[in-house]
Amino acid sequence: MYQLINTVLIGITSGAIYSLMAIALVLVWRSARVVNFAQAGQALLSTYIGYEFIQKFHSFWVALFLSMLVGAAVGAIIDSSFMRILFRRAGHGPIANVAPIIATLGLLGLIRALLGLVVGGKDVRINPPVSNVGYTVAGHTMAFSPLQLVIVISVLLLMLVLSLIFQRTNVGLALRASAYSPEIARLAGVRVDGMRTLGWALAGAAGAAAGLLQTPNGTGVLSPDSLEFSLLLVFGFIAAVIGGLESLVGAVVGGMVLGLVLAFVLTYVSGSVVFITAFGLLIAVLLVKPTGLVGKRGGRRA
Amino acid sequence: MIGINRRRLLVASAVLATGGLVVSTVPAQAFSPHSEVGVTNSAIKLGVTIPLTGAASPGYNKVPSAMKAYFDYVNANGGVNGRKITLVVKDDQYVPTLAVTQTNDLILKDKVFALLAPLGTANVKAVATRVNPGRRGVPVLFVNTGYSGFAVKKTYPTTFTMLPSYIVEAKIMAQYITETYPGKKIGLLYQDDDFGQDALAGFKQAGLSLAVKVPYASGSQGVAGVPATWIQKLSAASPDVVILFGVSSATAAALGTAAVMKYAPKWILGSVGGDATTIKASGVPAGVLYGATGASFLPATTDTTDEYIKLFQSINAKYNNNAVFDNNVLVGMNTAFVTVQAIAAAGQNLTRKGLIAAIEKNGAKFASAGLAPLNYSTTSHVGYNGYWFGTYSPTGDLKPNGGVYTVYTTDSGSGAIVKSTYKRPAMPADGLPTQP
Amino acid sequence: MRKFAGSYFGRLTFFILFGFVLFLASNRVDELRVYQGASVAMYVVAIASLILLTGYSGQVSLGHGALMAIGGYAAALSRNHWGAPFWLCFVVAIVATALAGSVLGTAAARLSGPYLAGSTLALAVGLPSIANQFHILGGEQGLLFDIGAPPAALGADFTEYKWLFWISAVAALIAMWWLQNILRSRFGRTWRAVRSNEVAAQLAGIHVGKSKTLAFTVSSGLAGLAGAMLAMTISTVSPSAFPLTLSFAVLTGAVLSGVTTLSGVMIGALILVATPDIADAISSRFASSENVTTNLPGLLVSALLILVVMLVPNGPVEQMRTLRNRKRAKALR
Repeated sequence: MYQLINTVLIGITSGAIYSLMAIALVLVWRSARVVNFAQAGQALLSTYIGYEFIQKFHSFWVALFLSMLVGAAVGAIIDSSFMRILFRRAGHGPIANVAPIIATLGLLGLIRALLGLVVGGKDVRINPPVSNVGYTVAGHTMAFSPLQLVIVISVLLLMLVLSLIFQRTNVGLALRASAYSPEIARLAGVRVDGMRTLGWALAGAAGAAAGLLQTPNGTGVLSPDSLEFSLLLVFGFIAAVIGGLESLVGAVVGGMVLGLVLAFVLTYVSGSVVFITAFGLLIAVLLVKPTGLVGKRGGRRA
Repeated sequence: MIGINRRRLLVASAVLATGGLVVSTVPAQAFSPHSEVGVTNSAIKLGVTIPLTGAASPGYNKVPSAMKAYFDYVNANGGVNGRKITLVVKDDQYVPTLAVTQTNDLILKDKVFALLAPLGTANVKAVATRVNPGRRGVPVLFVNTGYSGFAVKKTYPTTFTMLPSYIVEAKIMAQYITETYPGKKIGLLYQDDDFGQDALAGFKQAGLSLAVKVPYASGSQGVAGVPATWIQKLSAASPDVVILFGVSSATAAALGTAAVMKYAPKWILGSVGGDATTIKASGVPAGVLYGATGASFLPATTDTTDEYIKLFQSINAKYNNNAVFDNNVLVGMNTAFVTVQAIAAAGQNLTRKGLIAAIEKNGAKFASAGLAPLNYSTTSHVGYNGYWFGTYSPTGDLKPNGGVYTVYTTDSGSGAIVKSTYKRPAMPADGLPTQP
Repeated sequence: MRKFAGSYFGRLTFFILFGFVLFLASNRVDELRVYQGASVAMYVVAIASLILLTGYSGQVSLGHGALMAIGGYAAALSRNHWGAPFWLCFVVAIVATALAGSVLGTAAARLSGPYLAGSTLALAVGLPSIANQFHILGGEQGLLFDIGAPPAALGADFTEYKWLFWISAVAALIAMWWLQNILRSRFGRTWRAVRSNEVAAQLAGIHVGKSKTLAFTVSSGLAGLAGAMLAMTISTVSPSAFPLTLSFAVLTGAVLSGVTTLSGVMIGALILVATPDIADAISSRFASSENVTTNLPGLLVSALLILVVMLVPNGPVEQMRTLRNRKRAKALR
């Protein structure tokens, strides 16, 4: 009984973490039609900066807020100084399919190598802002801690706030319009480039939150080579694709499905089939619904 | 259309021709003045490939600089038979393809005299078959893997192992557990590949029954949520003693997650993932390690009464930027120490053949920090074959049980597990090789 | 002359001549360069396979490393279990990977860009770890794939690396020649039609799904060949030989070569093989710290990648062609 409950809890908390990354990826995809592999690098960079803020202000929450601002700035800079040129030069022909992927992969490598040059060899630690020891219920310690509660709440908040922005505000409408059909949006007076940059900025902030929240929830240690961040990117991307790249709700649903399926398979089948289960789940979902669980029909339009 | 084709061909041939030119104009390297590759009258060049970057690098990336530090110390004191040792370090990122190309570089471009302490079973195997140091006669000294197969002289004629094999470790650990915790329920976390399979084979060989076995995929310890599933599976079976036989990042993930899930059985750590500094650097508080059991074949890193540790610590302070003195640094220094012993034993007229012969002839008598014997002979290329057990102190340092190193030895086959009577040779004066 | 260069026999002659040049070169350079030549040939095939998929059929793959793994394991298994001669191992690798590719391709044809990217990425992460689940695949230390010493007839000083290089170069030349021909056939025209406008192609009677699946299958077959070549150059196959970074490296090579044309394929392959050497040369000249040495190769490749994709997104060959066309247009005016 406790094992079952714990498995569900592990699934939800790890799902929440994949969702954070998935939200960031979906934000960029929705507003700029780019699968942003640099997200892991941006998150890593923001988390390092977040660590510096923690040292300076001695408050995790202040640091979280500031590093989200920094993350947003980094995202905006990448888009306005770099992706914009890229789209102008490589926005059509067969290269248009791979150019953004390649460019963001290159950025990921660049950020990692630069971080390695600057902070390489020195691992830094981020302590949890609230207890990461599991709650006790009737003498049993559950696989769920105050820190994980904070993470789950942050994910839901992010999803809600961003969904509201997208669905209910003029900015949201402009964001959607400029991604859906840049030419028509431009004719309608939307500043398409600005909207793209805004999408990148929002994603940068979400990625920074993911990095700074997951680090103390994981090992607490940060390094430029961090395996955790690479895997966070891969699993976040898988979650986003499972959920359908078009929607923020999808990102969270995808993350939760991936988290729960992994937790159950690892607990009740075998501990050594993590990667192949993730692949199998992704393929199974896409064979049934080629645009993901929450994807819309005819999603092949970009 | 045809015009475009022709231009395509022209461009292609231009590119190809340039490529060919680049390849063909590179001159062959000059030969060294001494009769043996990588050796001159004043210098010896050695090479190592090891992961310096990438997921497998933490911990291991400290080994090369520790080796360099000891060589620098020896060089500052006159070198070996008047020759100074340089070490060329290459990053293989734990990828066999890179290990092969980097080893090619070391042998064909850098022209090293011998390869030192390569790491990773798949890497060493790929290098052994493709680059084939055995056929080239290049010594591969003191391989950093616990796979027992590399000690087979017929297949790997120039290769010498150093670490006790995983099977040896599991056998000795099984006996220790049976004696210390009779009738207790035992659990195991292991890496689901050859590393773990060897451990399972060793436990089985020594007749240890495991109540719960939790496998994990190599690398999955970094996926959010995965370590939590290990701990809840272990705690659901409620074993009294849990063996963590994985790499250090997995050991650290298991210990850290267990701490926040308030799960605290009696922990026993395998030596691969048991380096206290690496575990603590991976975010595990020293308090969690306190009271756990660990194994080693070298003296405890904090044991300043040990003459080797004392020497290595002072070298570490002077030549290694005073890096944290952990087991990786100790292994690196000790490997370099044994290498220098071997080179000194090979005499003034240093050749690759001579070096191998010297290790086979005198290797079992080499001075080293190891508390278990080295088993080199004309028929055996096996290095250390034993372990002692200890307990992690409140600061998270491994200390021998009862303050004495009680070493048990065995082999990778069906041999018995025996209490070792090996007496370590005294350290030569100042830890420098005795010049003939 | 023009007619000849564009014709079937013209291409055949070109490839044979080029093979002869390579053969001459292999006798003049040292062992290390010969070995690197074999790696270049391997990358040529892998990159060509990806260019075919991306540039000619408009699909994205981040999982070519996984396809190469299938080829490598197929070759090793056929060598170890049936004692097949090396060329037959290559054929088995091509067929096995093409079969796997046709299954994947059927699924892939239904997916649009990012969904396909996600699936192939998951494939690259998931597939190699299967080797630890089945005993026959040899676990983490992998399987041997030893093609043995060169035939005695080639002489005593014919080194093993030269043998490797010969096999790799001939395999790459045959693959490239065959690819050139298939791209000029009906299939090639179909792919290009689908790539430039799916709807128009469909209206013209082309079955888009089938055409994409076929491209994925052919690309997979080539990737399988590259995988077998990679296995040969390291004489083993193991999960760690096909990491995610390999998939990214092939993609990098494809972009450096230019994804729209096969003629630049050597550029990407040469850069991939030469980068570590160049980084080495730079860091040894400036006697820098270990930190710089270890991070320099990654920095160089990433920076180059970004520069290429920003400045010459379609690759250097395509860029030269555009420049020349512009000049010609100006001259005509």
